[in-house]
Amino acid sequence: MNFDMDYGLDGEDTGPRVTIRNVNETTIDFLLSSTSLALANSIRRTMLAEIPTIAIDLVEVESNTSVLADEFLAHRLGLIPLSTRGVEEMIYTRDCTCEEFCDNCAVILRLHAANRNSDENVKVFAKDLFCETVGGQQIQDPRYGHRNGAPRDGLSGAEELPPRGQPVIMDPKGNGALICQLRRGQELRVRCIAKKGIAKEHAKWAPTAAIGFEYDPHNKLRHTTLWSEGPNAKEEWPESKNKDWEEPEQEGEPFRYDEEPTQFYINLEGTGVMPPDQILHAGIRTLQQKLAMIIQQLGTTNDSGHELAPAATDNGGMGGMSPPMAANGTAYGNGNQTAYGGGGGQTPAFGMTPAYQGQQTAYGGQTPGYGGGTTPYGGMGGATPYGRSGY
Amino acid sequence: MATDGDHEMADATAGAEANGTSGDFVKEKQRLRLLPGSSDTQASFAFEKEDHTLGNALRYMIMKNPDVEFCGYSIPHPSETVMNLRIQTWDNVSVMDVLKRGLSDLADLCDVVEDKFTAARDDFNDSHPDRVATK
Repeated sequence: MNFDMDYGLDGEDTGPRVTIRNVNETTIDFLLSSTSLALANSIRRTMLAEIPTIAIDLVEVESNTSVLADEFLAHRLGLIPLSTRGVEEMIYTRDCTCEEFCDNCAVILRLHAANRNSDENVKVFAKDLFCETVGGQQIQDPRYGHRNGAPRDGLSGAEELPPRGQPVIMDPKGNGALICQLRRGQELRVRCIAKKGIAKEHAKWAPTAAIGFEYDPHNKLRHTTLWSEGPNAKEEWPESKNKDWEEPEQEGEPFRYDEEPTQFYINLEGTGVMPPDQILHAGIRTLQQKLAMIIQQLGTTNDSGHELAPAATDNGGMGGMSPPMAANGTAYGNGNQTAYGGGGGQTPAFGMTPAYQGQQTAYGGQTPGYGGGTTPYGGMGGATPYGRSGY
Repeated sequence: MATDGDHEMADATAGAEANGTSGDFVKEKQRLRLLPGSSDTQASFAFEKEDHTLGNALRYMIMKNPDVEFCGYSIPHPSETVMNLRIQTWDNVSVMDVLKRGLSDLADLCDVVEDKFTAARDDFNDSHPDRVATK
């Protein structure tokens, strides 16, 4: 293939450019230019949904006599922002080799609050949560106390983040989120297990509060049509605060129909669990890991088999097995591995959804594995991964 | 169905993830499938557990390749996390090569964006010592 990759890997002039406009502890406002909308959007989506963070996932209630139900409290505890320092080294609990959980895959937090004899309601704040190791020893780091994010001069964020799993407290009084209130005689004792996860699973794991994303403030690309009550839409709509960064449209200027968006105004606001530029780095890194995983699955050897499972020839990873299996042609579409669970268990390389398989009934019980143009006898290992003359 | 470790779901109880690992081997789900009717120069792939985040970006990158006649992606149903990608090439260019190339080009592009951001942030830090961009 001989096309030049000139996305600016070589030049300073061409290629993506980043201009930072404003920064504070939670937010970065920057301009991303000379990239495509597809990439900018993918980065935005990844930052919103797929960056691993830490949040409380299991709550063991020892005693709860407050007015809030256990599950209500557990829901609130899950939403408390916890520091993600060192989350890259942390393993997902489901992948960890320990039984249940350990210090490598979880952080334990405890909360002991009671209102013994006060007439006023005792407020239980996030600062009252304290960390423990799985063994029960308390983790204390007096350097941090409970304050995070309070305006300080010249400290970089990596030092400001409390140790892993500690609640992030950003309010001026240093209290953190209000969990519940206790009347006289009410008590709350819980043990919380915080785990690593991503926002796709539950929004509590989202490191971003919001991502402002705009392009083409003057609508020169006509990607949108402004609704209006009267005849002139421009009068009714407020102007974007990015309007000075691009030339407005001139009178009589012809519409440039093949222009693409190249300049994106991004305002990234984090919740405080991760410094915002770390959010961006993590987002890009996560995107690259996705790509690497696909590349790896593509590249796993052609000869020993079937890194790409031809969907119709569900031959269980071994060519030789196919004929007896395919002969059972059932309406299920592939004849073998009708029990999806069984199929998945025996052939780890093929995780197929039967629902999808069912659509290819035409290939169900027919000539062993010819549907995809590959032969089940290691056709994938032949010169061309698609077999020959599949058509 | 229960043995299909649906990796995105949290375990109901700590330790329940023992269900997910079946037997002795490490379960590596095959997330990339080749759909029937594919040949060397035109193929449809099905990516599991992927959505527009990967699909749109990958489609864009593959379309940049002049050997590609057609490239498009779709998500057959929003309730199922499957993404289909179809690539058709001119002449005798192999679709697998095109896909691999697109993936690595996209990874390189991500690297460039990250480097530019890091450089811009460092510049900002240097010129605004009072408002240091957190690291």
